[in-house]
Amino acid sequence: MASYPTRYSALALLRKGVTRSDWPRAWRHHDLRSSYDVVIVGGGLHGLATAYYLARNHHITNVAVLDKAYIGGGGSGRNTAIVRSNYLTPEGSAFYDRSVRLYEGLTEDLNFNIMFEQRGHMTLAHNDASLRTMRWRAEVNKLGGIDSEVIDPAGVKELAPAIDVSDRPRYPILGALWHPPGGIVRHDAVVWGYARGADVAGAHIHQGTEVTGIDVASGRVTGVQTSRGAVAAPVVINCTAGWSTLIADMAGVKLPITTRPLQAAVTEPVQPFLDPVIVSGTLHVYVSQTARGELVFGASVDPFSSYSSRGSLGFTEGLAGHVLELMPGLSKMRLLRQWAGLCDMTPDFGPIIGPTPVAGFYVDVGWGTYGFKAGPVAGEQVAAMVANGTVPRLIASFGLERFEQGRLTAEKGAAAVGH
Amino acid sequence: MSGSRLGVQPGELIDRDRVVRFEWNGTEHHGFAGDTIASALAAGGVEVFSRSFKYRRPRGILTADYHDPNLFVQVGDEPNVRAGHRLLISGMDVTAQGAWPSLGFDARGANRLVGRFLAPGFYYKTFISPARLRPAYQKILRRFGAGGKIDPATPPAHAAKRFAHPDVLVAGGGPAGMAAALAASHRGARVMLVEENHHLGGHLLYGGPESAAALAELRALIGADDAIEVLTNAVVTGRYDHNWVGVVVRHGGEERLVKARAKCLVVAAGKIERPYVFAGNDLPGVMLSSAVRRLINLYAVAPGTRAVVATANESGDAALADLERAGVEVAAVADLRKSGSLLVRAKGRGRLTAVELSGGRTIEADLLVTAVGWTTPTSLLNMAGDRPVYDATAARFLPGEFPDDVLAAGGVVGDGSIESVVDQGRVAGFEAGRRALETGAAWQRLTPRAAPAPEVDTEPTVIPRLPAMPHPELFTGPTDGFVDFSEDVKGRDLALAAAEGYDSIELAKRYTTVTMGSIQGKLAGVNAVAVHAAATGATIATTGTTTWRPPYAPITLGALAGVDEDPVRYSPMHDWHDAHGAVPIGAGQWIRPDHYGDPAREVRNTRANVGIIDVSPLGKIDLRGRDVPRLLEFVYTNRWDSLAIGGVRYGVMCAEDGVILDDGVTARLEESRFYMTTTSSGAGRVWNWLDEWLQTAFPTWDVKTTAVTDGYAAMNIAGPRSRELLQRVASGVDASPESFPYMNARIATVAGVAECIVLRIGFTGELSYEVHVPAGYGLHVWEELLAAGSDLGIAPFGLEAQRIMRLEKGHFIVGQDTDGLTKAHTAGLAGLIKIDKPDFSGKPELVWEGEQGPPRRLVAIQPVDGSVVPAEASQIIAGGLTRGRVTSSRTSPTLERSICLAIVDTEYAAAGAELTIRLPDGRDVAATVLEHHAHVDVDGGRVRG
Amino acid sequence: MLVIVCPHCGPRNSNEFTFLGERSTRPAVAATTPAAWRHYLYFKNNAAGEAGERWFHVSGCRRFLDVERDTLTNEIRSVRDVGEAAG
Repeated sequence: MASYPTRYSALALLRKGVTRSDWPRAWRHHDLRSSYDVVIVGGGLHGLATAYYLARNHHITNVAVLDKAYIGGGGSGRNTAIVRSNYLTPEGSAFYDRSVRLYEGLTEDLNFNIMFEQRGHMTLAHNDASLRTMRWRAEVNKLGGIDSEVIDPAGVKELAPAIDVSDRPRYPILGALWHPPGGIVRHDAVVWGYARGADVAGAHIHQGTEVTGIDVASGRVTGVQTSRGAVAAPVVINCTAGWSTLIADMAGVKLPITTRPLQAAVTEPVQPFLDPVIVSGTLHVYVSQTARGELVFGASVDPFSSYSSRGSLGFTEGLAGHVLELMPGLSKMRLLRQWAGLCDMTPDFGPIIGPTPVAGFYVDVGWGTYGFKAGPVAGEQVAAMVANGTVPRLIASFGLERFEQGRLTAEKGAAAVGH
Repeated sequence: MSGSRLGVQPGELIDRDRVVRFEWNGTEHHGFAGDTIASALAAGGVEVFSRSFKYRRPRGILTADYHDPNLFVQVGDEPNVRAGHRLLISGMDVTAQGAWPSLGFDARGANRLVGRFLAPGFYYKTFISPARLRPAYQKILRRFGAGGKIDPATPPAHAAKRFAHPDVLVAGGGPAGMAAALAASHRGARVMLVEENHHLGGHLLYGGPESAAALAELRALIGADDAIEVLTNAVVTGRYDHNWVGVVVRHGGEERLVKARAKCLVVAAGKIERPYVFAGNDLPGVMLSSAVRRLINLYAVAPGTRAVVATANESGDAALADLERAGVEVAAVADLRKSGSLLVRAKGRGRLTAVELSGGRTIEADLLVTAVGWTTPTSLLNMAGDRPVYDATAARFLPGEFPDDVLAAGGVVGDGSIESVVDQGRVAGFEAGRRALETGAAWQRLTPRAAPAPEVDTEPTVIPRLPAMPHPELFTGPTDGFVDFSEDVKGRDLALAAAEGYDSIELAKRYTTVTMGSIQGKLAGVNAVAVHAAATGATIATTGTTTWRPPYAPITLGALAGVDEDPVRYSPMHDWHDAHGAVPIGAGQWIRPDHYGDPAREVRNTRANVGIIDVSPLGKIDLRGRDVPRLLEFVYTNRWDSLAIGGVRYGVMCAEDGVILDDGVTARLEESRFYMTTTSSGAGRVWNWLDEWLQTAFPTWDVKTTAVTDGYAAMNIAGPRSRELLQRVASGVDASPESFPYMNARIATVAGVAECIVLRIGFTGELSYEVHVPAGYGLHVWEELLAAGSDLGIAPFGLEAQRIMRLEKGHFIVGQDTDGLTKAHTAGLAGLIKIDKPDFSGKPELVWEGEQGPPRRLVAIQPVDGSVVPAEASQIIAGGLTRGRVTSSRTSPTLERSICLAIVDTEYAAAGAELTIRLPDGRDVAATVLEHHAHVDVDGGRVRG
Repeated sequence: MLVIVCPHCGPRNSNEFTFLGERSTRPAVAATTPAAWRHYLYFKNNAAGEAGERWFHVSGCRRFLDVERDTLTNEIRSVRDVGEAAG
C-alpha cells in the first residue's frame, strides 16, 4: 500500500509552521474513468471505509467512490458521533465490538487524529423493566468479552455528578448500564481520514457526481449512469443512507426500508462538566459534551417518514424537557443549532448488508440510527465480502433474504421490550 | 480610549435619573437604567470584554448588539450572556468568560506565539502516537473550551409556553415590519409583531430627526391598533413546516417560548452589518459603524477619542456625522468607494493605537470605524426553502424564492428611503393579510361541518420592488485578518483548508469551524464564502452560502422545556395506599403499591386467607354491538363466537407478524355488550388496534368501542376465603361455585354500589374475583371489602406479591416474559391458536410458526439449589454461548424455593432438561426445566374450586 | 409540526395524529405465501415524493384518515376519512 506524501505528526506540524509551506491535498481530483472494478455509491463513512479496506486488505484499488454532493455530507456528518458495543444480541455485540476495536486503532492506522475519547457510555434505567433490559445487555456483553456492567444510582452520581438521582415519581434513576469503552469521536475526522487513506491507496473519490441509473443485464450489474457520464463496473455497492431505496430501485431491488429524519442539536459551549455519554432510552435522549464544551443531543427518529432534513421545533422542546429531567441544572444553557439527517429504518432495526438478487450489486444500508458506530467494521466486512465472494460470518445474520424468510434479527426483541 | 458618557442625546434609551450599580470581575461599576451591560462598561472605560477562543486575544465591542461575538459574559450562574443586549440590573454579578486568571493576563495567551503552528485542523495532524498519551492530551484540550460555567446545582428555570394563532406574524419591528403589521391589520388580519431589540424601530432608533419623526408616527399607529400584538425583546427563532413559528420572549435571563401557527409570515429582518477582513481587525477599538451609532445615539457613550472612519456607504457616513456631533476627533476618513482608497491594517498590542491606510499613511487612533457592507439575514427564508442568490452589484446575497405563505419586506429585499421602505412593507403586509385570510377560508372549506367559509378577495396585490443599491464588493482588505471572531478563523486558514482538499464551502466550514460558533455565521458567513471562493478560483455566486440552521438565535433549555410534564396516573384508592404504608412503584404512567411492607407475608396470607389488590390500571374497553363476536374472533387467536352470556374467556392478540401484542380477558355481559380487559400499558394500543380494524377493514360491522379504564376502579380479592367475602358484600349474585363458576362474569351490587362487574378469574392461582366498580365508588367498595373481611384475615397485597403469585402459577407477562419477536407458539400458547378460523390477525405467521416449530420456547425452570435466585436476565449458557435467559425469577414463599420462567432455544426446552445459568457475578448454577409453566396449583384445583 | 386539516375537526397540529405509514393491501389469508405476506408486512414504496399514507386522529375524532403527502416537502395534498376514501 502506498504511503502518504506527508505523514501527519507534531513534528511535521512544527516543520510546516517554520517553513510556512503548504500541506499536500488530503485527497485529489481525478477524471472519471469509463470503467472501474468497483463502484461505490455514497461517499460517506461506509463508502470511504469500504474503499479503504478494499485497497488495504485486498489490494483492490481500481475503485470509484461517487457522491452526489461532498464527502461526509449525509449521515456521516450529521450523527452524534457516539461509539459503543454494548448491544443486546450476541451477533450485534460481536459486530460492534469489532468496530470499537477498529476505532481504537484508527488514529494511528489512518495517520489522522479522529479524537476518539473513550469517556464511557451510560444508559440510565428509570424503571424495573429497563433495569432488567440493562442487565440482559450486560450479561450478553460479558459473555462476549465486552466491558459492560449494571451500576447503582450512587455509581451514576459518581461518574456524572450533574445527573439528578433523587427520588421522584415519574423517571427515577434506578441504575444504569455502564460501558467504559464507549465514547465520542470527531465524526468528520473519521470521514476525512478514510478519504485520505483511500485516496493514497489509489481509489478515486468523485464528489459532485450523482448516480442517476444502474445498468443491469441478464441479472448482473454492469455499471452506473451518473451526472458526469456512464461508468462500467462489474461490482456496484450501495453505501447510501436515506436514499438507499431509491438507489436500489434503480437496480430493480426492493428494500424493506422507510426513510425517517433523525434530529440532533448542539448547545453553546460551557466549561467541561460532563465526562461520559449519557443515554436514556425511556426518555429518548442522549447527551455528550464535546471537547469544545458544547453539549450534543440526540433523540429518536421523527414520528413520520420524510425526506426533508429540516429540523422541527417539537424535537427541541421534547429534548430540552428530557435533558432537564436528567440534569435540572442546565436550564440556562442555550440550544445553538439543530439539524437532521435521514435514516434507513428497517423492520427489525438491524442493517442490511450483503448480496442482492442482482449479481454484483451489493448493499450496505438500513443502518437506522447506528450507522456511524458501524462504519469501520462495515467497511472492513463489505470489502472482504466483495473481495472473497462470500459473506463473512460477522455479518451473516444481516442479509436481505431474512425478511422474506421471516428471520428478523433479535435487536427487534430488545427494542420492543418495555423500556 | 477611556470611554465616557456624552451629554444628553435626542434618542437615548437611558434614564439618567436611575443609577444602577453592578459588579464587573469583582469591581463595582455603575450605569443607568436602559444601559446594556456593554454600554455601561464602555461608559466606564472598559475596553476588553473577553479573550478569544483559540489564540486568547483580547476583544472589545464590535457590533454592540445581541450578535456581538466579543461580548459574551457570565452573569451569576448564567453563562454566555450577550452583554451588548442584556439590560443592566442592579446588583448584577458580571464576569468575563474563559480568561483565566484574568482578562489582563491570560496564561493561555501563549497560544498566540504558536499561532502559526495552529493551522486549521492542526489537531487532526497531531497527538497521533503514542496512543497511550492521547487521553491526557484530550483532557488538556478540553480545558481550552470556550464558554462560561454551568453549575449543575443551578435551580431550574422553566416558563410555561404559550400557543398563538396569528393570521400574520411579522418578524422584525423596523420600519418595514411596522408598516407591514399595520397594513395586515388594516386588511382584517390579527397580527403578531416580533422585535429582537428592546424597542420597536430598527435603525430608525438612531437615524436622526427624520427617522425619529417617522418612528413616532408608526409607533403611535401600532399602539392604537388592538389587532396587533407587539412582542419586544423577542425573536423569531425558526420557521418550521407549514409556518409553525418559534418565538422566544426574553425577560432578563428568563425566556418564554411562544409557538405560533402563522397563516402568513412576513420576514422583515433588516440587514446585518458585515465586518471587514484585514490585519488587526479584531483589536479592541475596531468597530462597525452600526456599533458606533448605537453607542452614541442610544446610550450616549463616546466609543473613542480619536477616530479613523473607513466607509463605503451611508451607514459609515452617518457614523462619521455622529462622531463629529459627539465631539470625537476624527483623524482621517478613508472613503472606500473611491478607487485607491484602502484600509490596510489596524495596529496595536492589546488595543488599537494606529491605522494604516493606503500609501503607507499611518494615523494614530483609538477608534477605527468600518462600514463595508451588509449581510442579508435570510435565515427564516432559508428555513422555508429559499436559496439566496448573490447579487454582485449590491455585494450581498438576496432572497430567491420561497413559498406563498412567506413574504419578505424591507432591508432583506432591498434598500431605499424611509418612505419607500415603509411603502413596500405596507403593500407586503396588506398582501400577507389577504393570503392569511384565504388560508383560513381554505381550511374551513376542507372541513365540511365547519361554518361556510367567508369570501376572500383572491386578487393578489403586486408588491413593489425595493431595489438593492449598488455597493462596492468589500470583503477582505490587502492584509489578512479574522473572518470568524468566535472561532478565531483567519482568511489564510480558509485558503489553507481549500488547498488541502476541503474545497467545498461545507467541508471548509467543518474543517476550520468557521461559522460554527455561537453567532452562527451572522457576521462571518459571507466573508467566509468570499475568501473561500477566492481561494478555490470560484465566484461567490457559485460557491453559495452555508446552510442557516435553526434556531436563528439561541434558546435556553428551560424555555424549550417549559413546564410540560409527562402525566402520572393514580387509582382512586391511591390515598388509602399512601396512608397504609404502601411502597410505591412506577409502572408505566401509573404509580402503584409495590407492597405494604412484606410481600412474602402478603403472598402467604392470600394463599391462606384472602388478599385484596388494587388493579385499577388494567386497561378496560366497553364493546357494544351485534358484531362484537366477529371482532373478537378476528383480533384474538382463539374462538369467541361460542361465548355465552355471563362467560369470560382469556385471549391473546397477535400483530400481523404473529408477535404477541397483548393479552387479557373479555366477558360477555349481555347479548351485545362485552367488557374487555387489557394489560395496563397496552390499554391505548389495543383500543386503537380495534378501531383501526373496524374502520379500515370492517366498516359495516356494528361495533362501538369505548375506553373505560378511568371509568372503573378495579380490585381483585384472592384466596380460599374470597368467596365468603364476596357473599357478604355482593347482592344480586349467587357466588356458589355451581352458579358462579370459574371464568364467568356477573353484574352485581357490591357494597351498595349497583352495576359493578364481577369477574371470576385468577391470575394468582387462587380462587379469586375481580370487582370493577364505577371509579367514584372505588375507595368506598375497597374499604367496605376490607371491613367485611376483617375476620377472614383480609390484607392488601401489592404488585410484588401479585408478581410472585402469578410466577408461582406460571402466567407470563407480555413485555417481560415475551419480547418483540415472541410469537404465540413460543409462549406455549398452541392450544389458544385456532388455525381453523378462516382469518385472524397474524394467522399466516402463526400457521407457519406452528408448522416449523418455534425456535425458542418459554419454559418454567427451577434452580437445583432452591436458595439461589438467578437475577432476571441471567443468561442460560451451553458451550460458552447464550441459549436463553431467565425472564422472571423470585423466591416462592409457597414452595420456599426459587422459581423462574425462561426463554430458551427449543433444543434445551424439553421437560427435565438440565440447564446452566450464568449468574451476574460469574458463577454458574444448574437448573431443571419443568413440564408445565405452573409451579403451584399445577392442576388448577385451587383456582377452579 | 405540520397542519393536517382533519375533515371532521378542522386544521390541527400533526402531534394530535399517529402516523401509521404507507397504506398497503392485505393479501387474502387463505391463498398467501410467506414471500407475499412478508412483502405486505415489511416492504414499502418509500417514495421520495407523493405518498399515500394512513394517519390516525388519536387525540381528536379517532378516525383513520387517508393522507396524500409529499415526502420531500411535507406538503399535504389531501386528507380523507377511510370510509369516504373507500366509498
